[in-house]
Amino acid sequence: MMTVPLDYYIILSAFLFAIGAIGVVVSRNLIVMFMAVEIMLNAANLALIAFSRFLKLMDGHVFVFLVMTVAAAEAAVGLAIVIAVFRARESVNADSLNLMKW
Amino acid sequence: MVNLTPLLPELFLFCWALVVLASDLFSKRRSASLPGYLSLAGLVITGFLLIPAHDAYLWGGMFVSDPFAVFFKIIFLGAAFMAIGSSFGLAGRMTHHRGEYFTLILFSTVGMMFLASAKELITLYVGLELTTIPLYVLAAYTKSSRASTEAGLKYMIIGAVSSAVLLYGLSIIYGLTGTTFLQQITINLSIYWLSYGELGPAFSIALMAILAGLAFKLALVPFHMWAPDVYEGSPTPVTAFLSVGSKAAGLAAIVRIFVGAFIAFATPVMAPRDWGSTLAVLAAITMIVGNIVAIRQTNIKRMLAYSSIAQAGYIMVGVVAASNLGVSAISFYVFSYMFANMGAFAIVAIIAERTGSEQIADLAGFSKSSPVLAGLMAIFILSLAGIPPLAGFLAKYYVFAAAVQAGYTWLVVLALLTSVIAYYYYANVIRMMYLSADPNPHHIVPSFPAGLVLALAGIGVILFGLMPEPILKLAIAAASSFVF
Amino acid sequence: MDQYLVIVPLLPFLAFVINGLWRNRMSKNTVIALAVGSVGLSFVTSVLLFIRLLGLAPEQRLIQQTLFTWIPVGTLKLDMAFMLDPLSAVMILVVTGVGFLIHVYSIGYMAHDEGIKRFFVYMNLFMFSMLTLVMADNLGLLFVGWEGVGLCSYLLIGFWFHKDSAANAGKKAFIVNRIGDVGFLLGTFLIFWTAGTLRFPDLAARAPEVFALGGGAVTAATLLLFVGATGKSAQIPLYVWLPDAMEGPTPVSALIHAATMVTAGVYLLARLNFLFILAPTTLVVVAIVGCVTALFAATIGLAQNDIKRVLAYSTISQLGYMMMACGVAAFGAGIFHLMTHAFFKALLFLGAGSVIHAMSDEQDMRKMGGLKKQLPTTYNTFLMATLAIVGIPIFSGFFSKDDILWQAFSSGHGNPLFWLIGVLTAGLTAFYMFRLFYLTFHGQPRYDQQTADHLHESPRVMTVPLVILAVLSIVGGWIGWPKVLLGGAWFERFLAPVMSHAGGGAAAETVGHSPSLEYGLMAVTIALVLVSIYAAYSIYNKSIGRATSLRQSLSGVYKVIYNKYWVDEFYGATIVRPLVKGSIFLWKIFDVVIIDGFANGLAYLTGDASTMGRKMQTGHLREYLTAFLIGTVLVIGFLIVR
Repeated sequence: MMTVPLDYYIILSAFLFAIGAIGVVVSRNLIVMFMAVEIMLNAANLALIAFSRFLKLMDGHVFVFLVMTVAAAEAAVGLAIVIAVFRARESVNADSLNLMKW
Repeated sequence: MVNLTPLLPELFLFCWALVVLASDLFSKRRSASLPGYLSLAGLVITGFLLIPAHDAYLWGGMFVSDPFAVFFKIIFLGAAFMAIGSSFGLAGRMTHHRGEYFTLILFSTVGMMFLASAKELITLYVGLELTTIPLYVLAAYTKSSRASTEAGLKYMIIGAVSSAVLLYGLSIIYGLTGTTFLQQITINLSIYWLSYGELGPAFSIALMAILAGLAFKLALVPFHMWAPDVYEGSPTPVTAFLSVGSKAAGLAAIVRIFVGAFIAFATPVMAPRDWGSTLAVLAAITMIVGNIVAIRQTNIKRMLAYSSIAQAGYIMVGVVAASNLGVSAISFYVFSYMFANMGAFAIVAIIAERTGSEQIADLAGFSKSSPVLAGLMAIFILSLAGIPPLAGFLAKYYVFAAAVQAGYTWLVVLALLTSVIAYYYYANVIRMMYLSADPNPHHIVPSFPAGLVLALAGIGVILFGLMPEPILKLAIAAASSFVF
Repeated sequence: MDQYLVIVPLLPFLAFVINGLWRNRMSKNTVIALAVGSVGLSFVTSVLLFIRLLGLAPEQRLIQQTLFTWIPVGTLKLDMAFMLDPLSAVMILVVTGVGFLIHVYSIGYMAHDEGIKRFFVYMNLFMFSMLTLVMADNLGLLFVGWEGVGLCSYLLIGFWFHKDSAANAGKKAFIVNRIGDVGFLLGTFLIFWTAGTLRFPDLAARAPEVFALGGGAVTAATLLLFVGATGKSAQIPLYVWLPDAMEGPTPVSALIHAATMVTAGVYLLARLNFLFILAPTTLVVVAIVGCVTALFAATIGLAQNDIKRVLAYSTISQLGYMMMACGVAAFGAGIFHLMTHAFFKALLFLGAGSVIHAMSDEQDMRKMGGLKKQLPTTYNTFLMATLAIVGIPIFSGFFSKDDILWQAFSSGHGNPLFWLIGVLTAGLTAFYMFRLFYLTFHGQPRYDQQTADHLHESPRVMTVPLVILAVLSIVGGWIGWPKVLLGGAWFERFLAPVMSHAGGGAAAETVGHSPSLEYGLMAVTIALVLVSIYAAYSIYNKSIGRATSLRQSLSGVYKVIYNKYWVDEFYGATIVRPLVKGSIFLWKIFDVVIIDGFANGLAYLTGDASTMGRKMQTGHLREYLTAFLIGTVLVIGFLIVR
């Protein structure tokens, strides 16, 4: 069975992380921003799993499970806040949020 | 069976939070008293439970209850106590979800306590998230207010990004060392370093990603942009809790990781890629930006937000020292900062509730209409500015002394110079209250819990400025949790 | 008796707390009685302590009281501890004594001010802070008092906040002093890291071992401390706040900005004389800054028309003298002048206050004149103070100023140039003081009828302190009657134990000089002072009727007088007028444009930067995120590239 070298995983994870980071900055839609953040988190997850597998240790797996749980909680809270924002101003455009500045 | 004594305070507070949540079902409408007082009582009991939890560890050192953890837990409990005490007015006006409000503060406090005790990356990360997620909700708690929801959203998105950045850093550290235990990380890194003489760019990336993720919590420049907006938009007691509790939690994490695990890379002497000088630069920029931008603020919450950014810069001066004196100095600093900042925000909350204004200009003549409140506000502000003999002065003195000892004299000179700028905007508040001819129509008498908070904060600021001995001893004990 | 030390600062503090918390519920008289009474009792305690100190052998004159350990930890051990040695004793007597008189005076001066209760609250807080400052047994506690007096100064300068200028002046004083504090704190750190203690007695004992003579550490530390002293004692370049501080009520100017607080810098130098003596470079800097300030401020004082501003520049100038004394290692002489200056300058300010009070708050001397008849007590006491400050023999200022000038000439650290500048300054002082004196009290009345109707001598409660201070302005210097004039130089001997490390003061230094030289120098000074007084007299007093009638009645010698008059004109045209022009020029260009401009420019720059920083906070979430991510990349890059 052919194994994929660790480097590939790490590079993929770095790319994913960069895609997420760029996505969160360029997107105006709050929901899409959320998805981008999830990509960033999962990039880190991928790296953790890859390391864990490469080092033949289980800590990384545990870490990833907990991160997924945390991400779910974060998403739940996040979407709730997005809904509250939408109710208050009928928009999910990130650029319309500038009540507080300076 | 594992002996759970070290975990007792956290367990208790968590269960108590559920009790508070349930209690709201039985409380009268339009009264926040029952869940509020229950929360206060729970925090006090948790404080007592900290005593037997001394110097013990759980699960092979994942969770430790060393003096450092206990010291910071006292700070978290104190901050939560004062935040809840000054929330009664706000919660009293809520028609729904009063119990949840207090419960969320308590949950966040539990998260902070976990964080302070974590000596392992997973525990640390989960503790950090448990701290932060309830705070997102709290920041957006006034759902009908556009400002509050906007604050919650900004806080949440940037918080999520920073948490992803932090996690990425942690994953690289895990990959480099093959462990999540801080102690083992130190050992493995040393072995790695001894074998190769260099740790490569991956380590630098990890180090700085972790720093960036945690700098968000402390609002260090340039990771601070969220702070003024969120502080301004959030309900004032939440802002206070953010500026003290959340900041102290971030600091605890930074100290745990950087001073606890990466101490060998603090100075260029040991490693060419040291975090010390980078953090020193961040501290310098933070002090400059925080203090300068604060000058032109007209909203007092926003002004205090910038002031607390600058304060984080001063705290970092102590972290940069990365020494025994440095850690005890920042511990004492956060302790005194808790009283002064919570007190100042509590007064802002009281005033805003009564007058509906958060403008500095509306403090005019406040010393005549409410002399005691004005006097307390002056004391808090002077302590933040670092005027002796208040606690804030000693705190600054210690931090600067630690930095001078560690050879960061340039940073101390800069810190002192920027504190001159700080006097400018702090003096402005005092000037408004004391040296203004406009009569202030509001004679404000705080409610009992708010009065309690103010008394506590006032006594803390004065007493620990004059007799800091007990706290300093605790702070020095806290520093002994680390090997230098 | 030792445990009574704390009473001295505690009494005003108690009054401050009681009045501060419950002043709205107490009658005006109760507040005043508490405030003034506490300071009076504090003075009595000081006198008792002083007597007790005199009862001890000279070498053992040190009373200490430790209240509790303030900072207990590690090597940095600081106590809340007070000490009384001859130096502190002099200071507390001056502070409580002059302070008490000024408090009494304020009862009358502030009687019609609605903020009188608040005024006394701040004044008591000031007394407490000042007494803490001079009785502290370590640098940490001294700094507590140091900041406390600064805060009170801020609150009292801005006391009449309905005037915008007052509030701004207060802020200016506050900020400028903080700049000095940066130096102070850094100096303290340095001393602590090298000597390991901040307690004065320990420092004094340890200094010669720890610090090398002229070493880098002690030079840096003393220079930094001196920066702190220039802030508080209004020396170049940090003097700018003091003239503006005159916006405060006049008793405040007298107490804080003349007699006590502004001398804290001089006190600091004298207190740490054992350190400064080890740093000859610092001493030279101190002496140069002192004498340049003395001359510079005196020059500006020539052309001011506001009576209080003249006195303000005069205070800066006199503080320069004191600094110069410290700079030539004659710390005792500096403290001596500090004491006599407290008497006569407080009196001058209070007298000016009495004039302002009588003139319905007019401060412009050009609108005064001829007040001698209407205000006899003020006139007479003011004359005593003026004679004292210009240094007419027998008056207190003569002894202290002469002491400084002689030390500047003859001490091991002295230089004839310092003496020369000092003497020039003495001449200028005599001129501008008598200019003020003649413009105010002599000549034709230049005020309007409405003011004239209200013109009245101040009430007894104000004039009695004036008289007491006038007596002190005369006899206050006698305790330092120099040996060369067959006196005992008692003051110097009294301070000697504190200054023993400073090389014994004058006694050891003057051996090489003959008394005749001292007489000669003294005569030169007195001569110059008399000439200056005459110049002031001839210019500012000439047009009054009495002078004209005198000229006519003595028609026989008219020509002589005429000639003399012509000489005066010549003198006026060639020396005085250009000097006044130069003074205005200096004031306008140097003071207003350069120093103020620099300070304001810095303030504007910071303000602009603040506005810019504000605008960067656009409120847009995505920009915040961009900043965050770019920040992350930057710190990573910073670490990798390095």
